Amino acid sequence: MLAMTSLIKRELKALWNDPWQLALISYIPLLGIFCIWWLFSAALPRHLPVAVVDMDNTSLSRSLTRRIEANPAARVLSYSDLASAKRAMLQADVYAMVVIPQSIRRDMLTGRQPGIDIRYNSQFLLVGKLLSSQIQQSLADGLRDVARQKQLSMGIPKVQAELQMQPLQTQVTALYNHNSNYVVFLLPPVLIALGQLMAMLIFANSLNRELRQNTMRDWFSHGIWRGIGVKAIVYVPLVVMQGRLILALLYQFLGLPLAGTFGQLLVAQLVMLVAIWLLVVAIFFLLQDCARVISFCSALFAPAFPFMGITFPTHDMPMLAQWWRKLMPSSHYIDSHIGLVSYGQAWPQLFEQLTDYWGYSLLIPLIIVLAIKVRDGIFADQNALAGGV
Amino acid sequence: MSFIQLVLHELRAIVQDKAIAVTLFGGVLFYSVLYPLPYSYEVPTEQKLVVVDQDNSSLSRKVTRHADASPKLQVVAKLASLPEAQRWIELGKAHGVLHIPQGFRRDLMLNRGVTLGYGGDANFFLVYSAVIEGLVSVGRNAQQYVQFIGLLAKGNDPKVAKVTLNPIELNSVPVFNPNLGYMGYVVPGVLLLVLHQTLLIGTGILGAGQWRHSGYWSSVHPLQLVLGRLVAFGLIYSTFASYYLGWCAYFYGLRSLATLSQLALFMLPFLLATCAAGIAFSCAFVRRDLPTQFMLVISMPILFLTGFIWPLELIPEPLVMGSQLMPGVPGIMAIIKLNQMGAPWESVADVWLQLWGLFVLYFAIALIGVHWRRGQLEAH
Repeated sequence: MLAMTSLIKRELKALWNDPWQLALISYIPLLGIFCIWWLFSAALPRHLPVAVVDMDNTSLSRSLTRRIEANPAARVLSYSDLASAKRAMLQADVYAMVVIPQSIRRDMLTGRQPGIDIRYNSQFLLVGKLLSSQIQQSLADGLRDVARQKQLSMGIPKVQAELQMQPLQTQVTALYNHNSNYVVFLLPPVLIALGQLMAMLIFANSLNRELRQNTMRDWFSHGIWRGIGVKAIVYVPLVVMQGRLILALLYQFLGLPLAGTFGQLLVAQLVMLVAIWLLVVAIFFLLQDCARVISFCSALFAPAFPFMGITFPTHDMPMLAQWWRKLMPSSHYIDSHIGLVSYGQAWPQLFEQLTDYWGYSLLIPLIIVLAIKVRDGIFADQNALAGGV
Repeated sequence: MSFIQLVLHELRAIVQDKAIAVTLFGGVLFYSVLYPLPYSYEVPTEQKLVVVDQDNSSLSRKVTRHADASPKLQVVAKLASLPEAQRWIELGKAHGVLHIPQGFRRDLMLNRGVTLGYGGDANFFLVYSAVIEGLVSVGRNAQQYVQFIGLLAKGNDPKVAKVTLNPIELNSVPVFNPNLGYMGYVVPGVLLLVLHQTLLIGTGILGAGQWRHSGYWSSVHPLQLVLGRLVAFGLIYSTFASYYLGWCAYFYGLRSLATLSQLALFMLPFLLATCAAGIAFSCAFVRRDLPTQFMLVISMPILFLTGFIWPLELIPEPLVMGSQLMPGVPGIMAIIKLNQMGAPWESVADVWLQLWGLFVLYFAIALIGVHWRRGQLEAH
């Protein structure tokens, strides 16, 4: 017990004397979380520039332009000719372009079915798709008015005309995120990916310090397993606190809907952190060089975000990507996170998901073998030195 | 030491340092496979849909069949109630639900108006939009079918009936990424970001490892060292850039609309400014494990600040202004415009000048930094 406390003290003292590690535990996550939240704080895409080329200039074309203008997603920029609108599209000054052709009103009144051309920038997929559907919706509403008038002028009673226009109403529900808020959608996975990187760096630094300051022997002399365990005891709770901070920002300060409880989420986070810890320890004993450990861990953990399956769905990834996804603790966690936050899963389901982490237990024998090899190497060096003297 | 010898020293130092080699050669190759991997199928199709059909009529079955026929949807089950459908969604067995109310067919035929319910799991926006797009087009078809039958029954000419229903046709077409693929949306920018970040990390580790020990770097003038380092990394990264913009773009079917000379002309200040920034940053570190950590922490904000994922119009102005100092932020966006959208050179010319400006700025800081590190070394 005494050895444990002295080891914990040793760890805390080292932490206090390492400004970068201290920063990683304190203000860097705060800054990072704040920046990412600020970046997405707009939450809903609004006021996106749209070019309108009105070649008709009649009451109809102007009312259609006003319809687009009235849509919160769009901000109309009028262009007098096609060439300059096209140029604006090419330079991404506008994300979509609506061309109302000449004599559209006359053609429509004489029953010739003219067309309105919409071009949207799908290089910026998120914005482009949104604008395309919003512009079409606005224009369809405007055109429905026109068609209704046409029916009324043919002597069809108003009630019937209304139904004939749209006998089939639809009710579209975005389940679990009712106003399609990007903060609800994107902020949790981005922050989790960032949190995973922080956790990995903190763990790796705590191990690397023994190498950098040449204290491996001293560390091992307290017993390998106790040494590794104490580091986990000191740093895992510190990182769990960061996780709790992220949850506090999302579900308390921003007040995003949360179906489950904080306790469940913290249990899920704890298991994820243990998995990260095992990965980092294995890599540390494998490579035994500060910069290489960091480089390798970074290379491994940096692309975790696309593999979470939030932006692009997991079931549409090829098999190989789905396997790689299983390597990342964050992808296991995000499944529990969504289950708890959106679906309000109960404990039994959570535990069932947590058994998904079983693969990481295979790291334990690997760590044992590698750690013993490293220890023997260090003590052999020491003995050789002693023998030489 | 001649300049060529210096460059050779630099190249040797880069290749022999395993941490740098892992990042540069390993990272660049590995990421060229890993980042595009999840998006190989480009668009999500055949999303699992459950149908809650409380009408059970010929028309409701027709709508269900149409939903199943849509390339975006696949009907996996017919369920009795909405709560049951929700359970399926929560268990991940389905991602969307179509609700057909009782009396659907009768009400439509009696011209009474009915409401179809569409729901999609909005935890995954791409899945949600695929489900809703699929259902909307199915619903629109059903509606037109009913209207058309109605108009015909009233003795309208089929041709006239069509026009009355749709007085004006809307023709919405995507441009620049015609198949709406996720690969074309994310991968070009991410690959450039990989070049940018690994270059910063590589120069960072090399510098941080050298400052405390004298070596070839301290025996040459700082100006010579910075120039030599620029040439060495420039040589390596022009190869990497050719691999990414050439071979990878070809292999993954990404558009490359810029001409070779335009691209080369733009990559020159992009790589030079990034490399100079890397040398300047490296002067702030003496621990070889720190540059990677620093660049890793800021890589995610940089990714979003470039503006190809989340539009710049929606990002707060101070963040956008501040990030302009990072060569990758304006550079990646400009290359996407040039290469993916075929924008004319004039539209990116100001960014090109900005990159040269950043190059001059970071070059000066790098000179001062190397000079300072040398002074420190001599003082010890």
